[in-house]
Amino acid sequence: MFVLWAVATLTFFAVRLIPGDPAEAILGGPGSQASAEALAAVRAEYGLDQPLLVQYFAQLGRLATGDLGRSYALKLDVGPLVLGQLGGTLVLAVLSLALAWIIALALATWSTRGGRVAARVGSGLEIVAASLPHFWLATALIVLFSIWLGVLPPISTPGLAGLVLPVLTLAVPLAGFLGQVIREPLLTALESPFVLSALARGESARGVRWIHAIRHASIPAISLSGWAFGSLISGAVVVETVFARPGLGRTLLNAVTVRDVPVVIGVVMLVAVAYILMTLLTDLATRVADPRVRAR
Amino acid sequence: MQSSGNTRTSRALLAGATLTVAGLLLSACTAAPDAPASGKPVVGGTLTYASGDAEPDCLDPHVGGNYPQALTGTQFLESLVSRDKSGAIIPWLASEWSESDDGLAWEFTLRENVYFSDGSPFDAAAVQANIAHLQDPATGSSTGYLALQKVTGTEAVSATVVRLTLAEPDSALLESLSQPWLAMESPEGLARGMEENCAAPIGTGPFVIKDWVKQDAITFVRNDTYDSPPADAGHEGPAYLEKIVWRFIPESASRYAALQAGEVDVIDNAQPDTIVQADKGDSIQHLDAPRPGAANRIELNSGTGPFTDPKVREAFIRSANVDDGVASLFQGTAKRSYSALSSAEALAVSRPELFEYDPKAAGKLLDSAGWSETDADGYRVKDGVRLTVFFPVSTNQSIPAEQSLFEQIQATAKETGFEVKLTPMDLSSWYGALGNGEYDAVSAPYTKVGPDVLRILFHSDGITPAPSGYFANHAQVNDPKLDELLTEAGRESDADKRKDLYTEAQNLLLEGFYILPLYDQQNHFLLGADVEGARALPTVSTPTFYDAWLSR
Amino acid sequence: MSDLELQAELGLGARRQGASPRPRRIGVAEGLAGAVALFLVLAAVVPQLLAPGDPLAIDPLSAFQPPSLPHWFGTDESGRDLYTRVVHGTGNSLLIGVLATTIGLGLGVLLGTLAGMLGGFVDFTVNRVLEVLFAFPGLLLALLVILIYGPGVATATIAVGLSTAPGYARIIRAQLVSVRSSAFVEAATVQGLTAWRILARHILPNTLAPLLVLATLGIGQAIVWATALSYLGLGAQPPAAEWGAMLSAGRTYITSAWWMSFFPGLFIVLTAVAATTLGRAIERRMRHA
Repeated sequence: MFVLWAVATLTFFAVRLIPGDPAEAILGGPGSQASAEALAAVRAEYGLDQPLLVQYFAQLGRLATGDLGRSYALKLDVGPLVLGQLGGTLVLAVLSLALAWIIALALATWSTRGGRVAARVGSGLEIVAASLPHFWLATALIVLFSIWLGVLPPISTPGLAGLVLPVLTLAVPLAGFLGQVIREPLLTALESPFVLSALARGESARGVRWIHAIRHASIPAISLSGWAFGSLISGAVVVETVFARPGLGRTLLNAVTVRDVPVVIGVVMLVAVAYILMTLLTDLATRVADPRVRAR
Repeated sequence: MQSSGNTRTSRALLAGATLTVAGLLLSACTAAPDAPASGKPVVGGTLTYASGDAEPDCLDPHVGGNYPQALTGTQFLESLVSRDKSGAIIPWLASEWSESDDGLAWEFTLRENVYFSDGSPFDAAAVQANIAHLQDPATGSSTGYLALQKVTGTEAVSATVVRLTLAEPDSALLESLSQPWLAMESPEGLARGMEENCAAPIGTGPFVIKDWVKQDAITFVRNDTYDSPPADAGHEGPAYLEKIVWRFIPESASRYAALQAGEVDVIDNAQPDTIVQADKGDSIQHLDAPRPGAANRIELNSGTGPFTDPKVREAFIRSANVDDGVASLFQGTAKRSYSALSSAEALAVSRPELFEYDPKAAGKLLDSAGWSETDADGYRVKDGVRLTVFFPVSTNQSIPAEQSLFEQIQATAKETGFEVKLTPMDLSSWYGALGNGEYDAVSAPYTKVGPDVLRILFHSDGITPAPSGYFANHAQVNDPKLDELLTEAGRESDADKRKDLYTEAQNLLLEGFYILPLYDQQNHFLLGADVEGARALPTVSTPTFYDAWLSR
Repeated sequence: MSDLELQAELGLGARRQGASPRPRRIGVAEGLAGAVALFLVLAAVVPQLLAPGDPLAIDPLSAFQPPSLPHWFGTDESGRDLYTRVVHGTGNSLLIGVLATTIGLGLGVLLGTLAGMLGGFVDFTVNRVLEVLFAFPGLLLALLVILIYGPGVATATIAVGLSTAPGYARIIRAQLVSVRSSAFVEAATVQGLTAWRILARHILPNTLAPLLVLATLGIGQAIVWATALSYLGLGAQPPAAEWGAMLSAGRTYITSAWWMSFFPGLFIVLTAVAATTLGRAIERRMRHA
């Protein structure tokens, strides 16, 4: 709650720093050269003629009731607009996260099994993957799969095929980070007594790896989910733009470009809420996965 | 462009076209659409259109009045008259018209039994309501408002005859009324208020807006009771297509790749490199429909700054190597223009000799204009002030290739000693910079049917902003002689005299070095091989899909 | 958690395990990273040495040429040599990265030190502030800054700097707290030295080294972010020779001239990989020193 209030306050006052008259922005920017009457009417409509503090509390009141105001550019209520865009981004994020885990685990298990060279190659790949900027990876994937091979659509389409490239773009760099995080714990876990005893009990090597080691290695990675969430949101801004996919990221970028303040605030608030929820969930998950934390 | 377009059309006709393909300027080297004779139009299907133009804030083209609005408006709105490919005015919602002898009154007889898609009738009262809406300052119309400047009143002579009274004769009235920005909307729709009407204007057109998911797509569905096509259309009755999905994909490369992948059927704003690629193969058709009105040009602000001196303006024009840039950036898809008007305009005057690249002459001109010294960076200086040209560039209005051309002009003008400061801006900041007079050079497309665009762009009245805040005379040309010629031409209904007046006006303008013409306003569409019967309306070259069908 | 904390965590993780063997003098990866870094620094400081041409010189008649001997990376839409532009763009891109990191690190050090040293109420407040800032993950804070001040190189730099500051602050605070409670600081306290003196004498030297690591890692990250902003049209603008802006210009021609996007992007990736590898290497070396 505190963080939400602070985020609202911060954005409210930060937005007052924007040079220019918000009434003018609503009417289409300085180019519109709106008449004095039109400006006054807009100020009254949006409550911009009230003292700052009154506006501030009015805004807080509206936020408390879930009213995020009205978009300057799109002339739509921000709440439904932003919530409507949430789904697309969520699908993208969840699929990417899942794929990133699969890639990271596959790479990590392969390279921890394959000896020194494999380990070096594996960790090298992870560093490179983690360094790939989304915008470049997206472009490269489009050139490769859409233009040269012609097998996947270059824009996001309703079907599953349209999701492949955007998800891949988000998943690969994330997998690079995840891989680096789980590598060391995985190695330690594989050499630890409980794995050796499990092996001695006759369980297959593969089963041991997957059950014990990964469970152990996932603890630090779960605590990463807050970070992963932020990274996916930043990535979504780029990916949704490049693949012309509707979603929060594209909405946010459009709004920033045309300075549609209520929409930017709406997206930011929504992300903040999601982030806070994420942090709570992460804490819970860590408690479940890590007996040491549970004991405390 | 005009002549090659004609040969292409006649070739298509020879191929045995049963449909009227007037105005369909299919590039000769692409596969012509599967010979229409071989197939009867298929009814049904969804056509997906990917637009690179900005998503309109408002779908009512009366409000403001820009090209993206014309593109979408063409699908569901109709005008009183249209134009055929020769430039002659043809009937649409008005079946005939007449001008009074003194030129101060026009009577339009309206087509009967036409209804808006909300069921209300299209009649004289509806025309009156539309003109009133366009002229109401609260609508914030700029294009339509300017086009109706001479109209002082309307009168319903009968239910199907409407009379417009004018303050002075207007030789451009029909051309103006043919534009999608002056299309007819349901008066009941207009009465809903701007916000609601912007979201879904109601027209008489072949398609109807079903929904508009902002920042994603507009869905148009067929108007099943439609029967009011323009006189040059290919068939009668409702359209063939069942649905048009109008997507917004700002990335030009994504748009093209989507077309290649068959995800979309038509794209606009095709980039030169993709047009060249498409022309090489036969899976994509190319529709080249240069926009009418003004040619794309750089306007030099003669009102303030260094360009108040005609010698400096000429020096700048001579210092800019435009030809090489156009050749490399547009790869043969655009032809250099030496005219203020689009080559789509029959009255365009072309003066190549005025715009030759000649850096030596440019240097001498600067010497004689007093900019004879050069500073350490190689720029010309006068009284301690550097010869700087502020050039705000609207990233919404200039395609990337055009922005690159400006960069090349910047580089070549530097050799003569001009410091060109290119500043890319979003549309709002750009309007702001223009409104505050903070520019020495600027490039803005202006689409209008007919040579009257010259009056809008270069008459000194155009220095005063329209109600929307837009002023069109960016060059700030203030020449009484030119004003007189343009006003006179705007009144003259005799075709030959009108031509002489516009010719004299254009010569005066070009010799005054107010503008540096670049090329026709590019308007390239790429279509999938199975899209048949699509064409650009010969008014402002927006694509219409009334006759279109899919041969899948 | 921020990107930086993650990076730092990765280093610390290895330390806790004590698993990785003492590094050889110079590993292959480190050697390569060093070579790349050297090239980048040279390119930034004396671009003329590596690419004598003018990055803005146009030659319309040789536009869109694929990579060849005279044009190693090909040419762009105005016939400018891409190799020259990429090399000359290094300075801009690195400068943006370094400045953003300086801003972020500077703020981070300030906040982190205040919180870590003063403790109590200040620590509490700073922690709350950081908590709030963390609710703007990733590029969100940067986009907010750009919303306020408008797009441009300067804003993009500040935006990236500000959005990395909370990460730095939290690491530094944690580092300070752990050093403060270590034996030698306690010993110094017993000797009666004032807190600030201890900070200057004992604590700062012990936190400086990790700062160096952080900065190295951070520069790579900052460059990726700043180029992302340029790519989105919110940072540097063409025709400036800056990697993100070049990529942005190149994407228009991606179907016919892949090299216009490929090489600037390659340099961004190389920079980020080199920064990460070097950062880790420095970290390892200090641990064993």
